[in-house]
Amino acid sequence: MEPILNIENLTKIYGTVPNQTKALNGITFQVMPGEFLGIMGSSGSGKSTLLNCIATVIQPSGGSIVMEGEQLNSLKGKALADYRGKKVGYLFQNFELLDNLTGRENILLPTSLHGVPEKESRLRLEQLADYLEITDVLDKFPTQMSGGQRQRVATARALILHPNIILADEPTGALDSKNAKNIMEKLAGLNRDEQATILMVTHDSNAASFCKRILFIQDGVIFHELRRGDETQRAFYERILKVMAQLGGGSCNVL
Amino acid sequence: MFSDLIFRNSRRSRKENGLFFSSLVISIVAFYIILSISNQDVMVFLKKMESDAVDRLLLMVPVFYVMTLGILFFLIYFACKYQLQRRRHEFGVYLMMGMGRGRLFAMLLAEDLVSSVLALAIGLPVAVLLSELISLVTAKLVGMGIIGHQFTLSLPALGLTVAGFLAIKLAAFLILSGQISCQEIGSLLADTPHGAKKQKPAGVYAAAAVCGVLLLAAAYAMAIRGAAWQSAKMMLLTLLSGMMGTILLFYGMRAFIALLVRAGNANRKLHVFNFRQIQENVIRQSTSMAISSLLILAALCCFGAGLGIAGTNAQGDSHVMDYTFDNYEDIPPEEIFPKVQTVLKEHQLEGCFAQLFPMRLGNIRTTDEYEGVFQMESVMNALAQRPESRARDILLNNLSYVEKPYVICLSDYNKLLELAGKPTLNLRPDEAAVYISADFMDAERIAMLNQILAAHPETQLDGHTLYLTGNLQTTNLVTDRSITLSFALILPDEQFFYNTQGRYSVYVNGILSQETTDGVGFMSAVSAMNDQLDRIGLEESCLRYESYLQNMGRQLFYMVAASYITSYLAIIFLVVANTIMGVQFLMSQRKTGRRYQTLVRLGAGYETICQSARKQISWFMGLPVLVAAVSSLFGVKALFAGILSSYARDAQGKMLVISAAVIFLLCVVEYLYMSVIKRSSDRYLLTLMQPQREE
Repeated sequence: MEPILNIENLTKIYGTVPNQTKALNGITFQVMPGEFLGIMGSSGSGKSTLLNCIATVIQPSGGSIVMEGEQLNSLKGKALADYRGKKVGYLFQNFELLDNLTGRENILLPTSLHGVPEKESRLRLEQLADYLEITDVLDKFPTQMSGGQRQRVATARALILHPNIILADEPTGALDSKNAKNIMEKLAGLNRDEQATILMVTHDSNAASFCKRILFIQDGVIFHELRRGDETQRAFYERILKVMAQLGGGSCNVL
Repeated sequence: MFSDLIFRNSRRSRKENGLFFSSLVISIVAFYIILSISNQDVMVFLKKMESDAVDRLLLMVPVFYVMTLGILFFLIYFACKYQLQRRRHEFGVYLMMGMGRGRLFAMLLAEDLVSSVLALAIGLPVAVLLSELISLVTAKLVGMGIIGHQFTLSLPALGLTVAGFLAIKLAAFLILSGQISCQEIGSLLADTPHGAKKQKPAGVYAAAAVCGVLLLAAAYAMAIRGAAWQSAKMMLLTLLSGMMGTILLFYGMRAFIALLVRAGNANRKLHVFNFRQIQENVIRQSTSMAISSLLILAALCCFGAGLGIAGTNAQGDSHVMDYTFDNYEDIPPEEIFPKVQTVLKEHQLEGCFAQLFPMRLGNIRTTDEYEGVFQMESVMNALAQRPESRARDILLNNLSYVEKPYVICLSDYNKLLELAGKPTLNLRPDEAAVYISADFMDAERIAMLNQILAAHPETQLDGHTLYLTGNLQTTNLVTDRSITLSFALILPDEQFFYNTQGRYSVYVNGILSQETTDGVGFMSAVSAMNDQLDRIGLEESCLRYESYLQNMGRQLFYMVAASYITSYLAIIFLVVANTIMGVQFLMSQRKTGRRYQTLVRLGAGYETICQSARKQISWFMGLPVLVAAVSSLFGVKALFAGILSSYARDAQGKMLVISAAVIFLLCVVEYLYMSVIKRSSDRYLLTLMQPQREE
């Protein structure tokens, strides 16, 4: 099976010569279709930079990102905008719903941006709203919704155009544990039922235990990898915690 | 260190917010121009002749100054608010680092002072130059010539400009910094203090919009029917209902925009987003949009009135004679003309005149009767038979008083016509032409009377049959308006001398020669000639003179004063309205900047979000402008109905031209402003394209 996303030797350097920071220092990995991949690491490890590079929000300094056989570096103008809108669905920590648009209007925003007729998306909207249990808040404004509802509306927005991959940046970061669990179950369900490919950056070991594979990043390089075999989510969670404990100090650990 | 920070901050503010800085400069220019009005060449010149009127105008200058002060206070307040709003976070950081509030206040005050001083340094020279330029242009336009122009610098005007500017700047600053310093550090540091306004049911807004439209319609109706001008109370009522109507209309406009969100082609790029943004702006700023709209309306009406007044005065400008001399000594009338010639010749002034000719007119002296000397039933009957109209009634009324008309000598009148470039009259001994001064007539009445005269109506003058003929004559007999005749007959010379029995008045008309006026401009030439005539002592010969200057001075004064004040106010209103709208839009755009960032994440390109913002700007600024434009159609019409002379009231075509000119001007100004705001918004959006790291 061809990987959906192929990242090779990716580097990103911030700043100029005397004060350079290597946010990404040669990262290589692949994401297969239908995979639910988690990326964990401490603050400043380069997780968000990695996600931003894949989302083409920032330009990597070196290496390549290939999405379905297409080099992201070569994308320009409309093709780039189409990539952002149609091939990638982005899920933010703070939901980033527009507070002057209703839930429905927020979800349909990508269709309006990318010139997809509203009719085509209507069925998809209904399915998603049904699955994510947000049908009754569709005509409310974000300020009238709970945090969990907002993130589920944001999820529907990320999925409306059938993206190849969903990039989730700490989707549970702004939620309480109950709502966090709920949204993770929905994401896992989408992964299971629709074979949605998800790449999720997170701090939260609990959320990460929903993934099938986890990459640990430290100081811009991949430090460790965990795969969830047939074990229970609970057992996987325990393993994650162990790695996190090791990771805590980093390679420059003074202990 | 501290002063470095002040200078750097103030430089950055100027760079980032050119709109704010230019509004400062504009207010300085506005102050100086209104204050230095008494130094304008035309005003200095007019002061010699129409000193009362000029003095009265100058008395009003402080009123305009205070008014400008008030209006520009709002401009500066809004611009300052935007300026401080965008730096909230920075202030929060200063306070976090332990800067005392007093010190922060001192820093802001110092920054403010630096930018004020700079604005003064740029604005004052610009203001002085601009006011000189206006002085020169008006002098040239009215034919005064610009040779005598002297550079003037009005020190009191300068002082008051600086004082006024600093006063409103300080007032705005104190209010705003007071608001800022009351806030907690946390809320300063927070990105956007959100407060979704609670919405009432849609029906309330729809009702408000309907009420607004009704009130506006009522105001329009009162304005164009002229009811508004009947009394101060009615005028107040009209203005109030217009203002309330506009405010309510904008208050309720959200309902209309909510419809637009749903209607229209939802598949168009970002349609829903654009209209939701517009709707939000309308909700948050409905009152200031309404005020902007009213200011634009005021500007349009000022322009319309200014153009109208200037236009009507330009109409009467076709003068023929420059001078009229007359004699107040009891000498036989036939000696007056030679006497004037002799006196002028004695003082080598005859050469200055290209033409000198007598204008003879007098009363009927063949009878001592007063009533029924002249009878023209045929004319009155013809008039009475015409379909009913205002013009007919006025004519019937005016002509019913004609009992013993003045008579004018044909050969003199023909000379006048010849000089005016008009066809001369040919009268048989039993014929007469009708003369009525232009002041009593308008186009419609002239046409009506001409139709009647074309039928050669038969009349009786002291028992002799007289046929009226030719077109109605209205050319001024003397240079000024000292002789206005509501009805006179132009008689062939022989009949004239017979009817006046040799007892008539003589006015000697003169026209300055080309050489006299060449180079110096007409007004200066007349003015110089007046000086010479005053010096030679015409009184000794019992002669008086009257120059066109008095007449022109009067017209000129109205024209200059009206166009000056109205254009001045119009420009201030336009600038203030547009700056308020622009600043408000940019401010709310800054508050909702995150939304654009989200759009970028969702795959919107820079072009797309710029287009979206541009569309919002067009709507946000376009709505008040549109409402103002519609109102201005009625406003200009009302002005014509109310204050302009009867001459203009009948000139429907001219009103259209004026309206078109006003609207064209508005389009140009709005286009320029929108371009500036759009560019500013593009620049801001570009800064959003870079992702920011957030934890």
